[in-house]
Amino acid sequence: MKRLSVAVAALALVGTMGVAKTLKVGLASGAYTMDPQAFNETATNSILSNIFDTLVRFDENIQIHPDLAVSWTNPEPKVWIIKLRKGVKFHNGNTFNADDVLFTFDRIKNWKKSGFKGKVSMIEKVEKVDDYTVKFTTKKAFPVFLRKLTYVNMLDKETDSGKSDEWIGLNPVGTGPYKFVLWRKGDQIKFKANPNYWAGKAKFDDLIFRVLSNNATRTAAILSGEVDIINRVPVVDVNRIKSNPNLNTFVKPGLRLIYLQMDQFREKTPYVKSSTGKNPFLDVRVRRALYYGINEDAIIKYIMKGFAAPAAQFHPDVVVGHDPSIKRAKYNPAKAKKLLAQAGYPNGFSVVLDAPNNRYINDAQIAQAVASSLAKIGIKVKVNATPKSSFFPKTGRQDTSFFLIGWASSDGDGSSMLDGVVHSKDDVKGYGRYNNGKYSNADVDRLIEESDANMNPKSRVKEMRDAQQIAIVKDQSIIPLHYQVDIYASSKKIKFIPRTDSRIWAYDIK
Amino acid sequence: MLKYILNRLFHSVIVMFVISFIVFFIMFKAGDPVQLLLPPDATQQDVIEMRHALGIDQSFIKQYEAFLKNVAKGNLGTSFVYGQPALDVVFERLPATLELSVLAMIFSIIFGVPLGIIASIKPKAWYSKAIMFLSLSGISVPIFWTGMVLVLVFSVLLGWLPSSGRGEVYLFTSAFTWDGIKHLIMPVLTLSFFQLALILRLTRTGMMEVMMQDYIKLAVAKGVPRRVVVYYHALKNSLIPLITVIGIQFGQLVAFTIVTETIFAWPGTGKLIIDSIQNLDRPIVVAYLLIISFIFVAINFVVDVLYTFVDPRVRV
Repeated sequence: MKRLSVAVAALALVGTMGVAKTLKVGLASGAYTMDPQAFNETATNSILSNIFDTLVRFDENIQIHPDLAVSWTNPEPKVWIIKLRKGVKFHNGNTFNADDVLFTFDRIKNWKKSGFKGKVSMIEKVEKVDDYTVKFTTKKAFPVFLRKLTYVNMLDKETDSGKSDEWIGLNPVGTGPYKFVLWRKGDQIKFKANPNYWAGKAKFDDLIFRVLSNNATRTAAILSGEVDIINRVPVVDVNRIKSNPNLNTFVKPGLRLIYLQMDQFREKTPYVKSSTGKNPFLDVRVRRALYYGINEDAIIKYIMKGFAAPAAQFHPDVVVGHDPSIKRAKYNPAKAKKLLAQAGYPNGFSVVLDAPNNRYINDAQIAQAVASSLAKIGIKVKVNATPKSSFFPKTGRQDTSFFLIGWASSDGDGSSMLDGVVHSKDDVKGYGRYNNGKYSNADVDRLIEESDANMNPKSRVKEMRDAQQIAIVKDQSIIPLHYQVDIYASSKKIKFIPRTDSRIWAYDIK
Repeated sequence: MLKYILNRLFHSVIVMFVISFIVFFIMFKAGDPVQLLLPPDATQQDVIEMRHALGIDQSFIKQYEAFLKNVAKGNLGTSFVYGQPALDVVFERLPATLELSVLAMIFSIIFGVPLGIIASIKPKAWYSKAIMFLSLSGISVPIFWTGMVLVLVFSVLLGWLPSSGRGEVYLFTSAFTWDGIKHLIMPVLTLSFFQLALILRLTRTGMMEVMMQDYIKLAVAKGVPRRVVVYYHALKNSLIPLITVIGIQFGQLVAFTIVTETIFAWPGTGKLIIDSIQNLDRPIVVAYLLIISFIFVAINFVVDVLYTFVDPRVRV
């Protein structure tokens, strides 16, 4: 009897201690590289965020928190002094210090193939004050500095200096909560918990990311319990997953706006046929007619199945620069028709709408719905949906009159869209790279440039809102449609936290 | 024979050269990968630097010339997206695709040929009719549907088999581990249905034709045992068309596993090539198509040599 109870006790011990906890995540797309400075793309960034630390990190609502930086000061507008966390070790045991920070920023700056140059382009120089203090000097006062740092993953100088880019792309060494174990390309990526993580060991000993790019396959994997979490739950499967008692679904508003942009710089635009022969989009009444004449509620209801939020402006509400006073106007085809008539197009015109068909959620279907909405106010729209690889170059050289595109304010700050889409195109100053409708308003440009260098958060937001009042409310420079939302499903056995930045940050999952 | 081999080799090199040129040209015309590689916050300067670093700021002739020079050194370029040598990226994925195709082919032959023979001997019997009906559905039901139904039944409802992914890998294949085999069953079945049905029907037709020949009648009249007549005289003579089709079909399997790979999240080359085309990752697309055309050329060669063994009248 005694022997039996000992055996039972031993079994119980094995049961509680011996089993390593594994978190399995099914992803719609996998990582392209293990080099955190190569390809700046959400899926790759998301996976690598579990291995690498940054100086500051976003929380689930895209607010800044200390990571490898414990504190920072901004003594002059262009100078940032950052104190580093002490006692942090890389996965191979090397100590993290200021030299690693300098090495990291140098590599992005000097490596021609880095996709992260935009994150550091405002930094003039990085200097070491002492082993745990770094001084950054920016080219001009730069309020978005800290938000940009959330994209700069810290590399180990001792490990990576002198190594080839191919080597770094396969052998990630960071300071993050998980260590790299193996990467079977197109199949799975395996990490294990870093026992020496500075904030304490993660709850799950093993972390496995599986690439399940087919929608039905991803759904099957969570239904059969093979994975604990999936991202990008296909909208058609949401109810099926909800009805399963072991699963939770999560809807998290994202950062990406889907909108329409149109030629606002040519007297005659290539893909429009109108009675006057002119470019109708030059007239703000026509642009406003499009805004009133598109039934966005129907697009959200029938195309997005309810999984999108209607948009009236550039930024969703979590993004700095959002203006709560701008609300989406009701669908009003009568008003749209009247505006068209006032502008001299009582019988409308015909136009080609360019759209990608493999870039955004339901992109081609949204374009079709826009076309059928606009048909009702007399604008004949022919949809030209093409793969992103031809769509982006085509719109990039302005070989278009009217196009559907998206923008994610991935820094959580409205400046990226204001700089990239709203400011006049100016290759020298680096503005308006995606302003391919070439909307241009000197007042808006001035407000954007001022806000870009304004270190006072309050007056800065005011400038951003003023810019938006002109560019959206007065000029209707783009037609906002909706913000995408992220849908996740997870097993009820775990506590999953969806994030605004669409990343899967396993350390917070319990 | 040696002359024949050299001749074939010479032809293959020309075929692959032409393919590389066509693919290179199409990918050159398809657009600018840098637009997809760099995030929206990149500046015009970053775009120019990246183009230069990838060597795509040069004229088409210059780029193709550089490509040929590298090929001579055994280097098919570095992937734009993965940042790794293109051949490495493709070869890393190839075993998974080959494993699926080879197993599906073996499975189809093992079951397709005997079932075809059975259905040919007594074509009016109920079991022959049943076999033919099943083979008809094998040919007409789309792979995508078959795959999803298997997943629904064996993974979601019964929970017997994993719905996707490749299991434990040992020596380049997952066929040597129990976990690997469990992952292989459904993809291999899905991929073989069509092939099995095709081979079955071809065997049956071939056998029925041969069985009507005079020499078969003579053999039967001479009192040769039925087993010998069927498996030796008849089967051997109906093999030539079968081998041709199996050869062609094997190439098809390797090149078109994409649907099966997508359903089962199988990390083969099919998924890789679709991604790479979408990302305009030219080095990968060129390397992949060269390897696939090499496989086709090699299969054709093996098929030609096999002819001579099966039918001594054929001379290469």
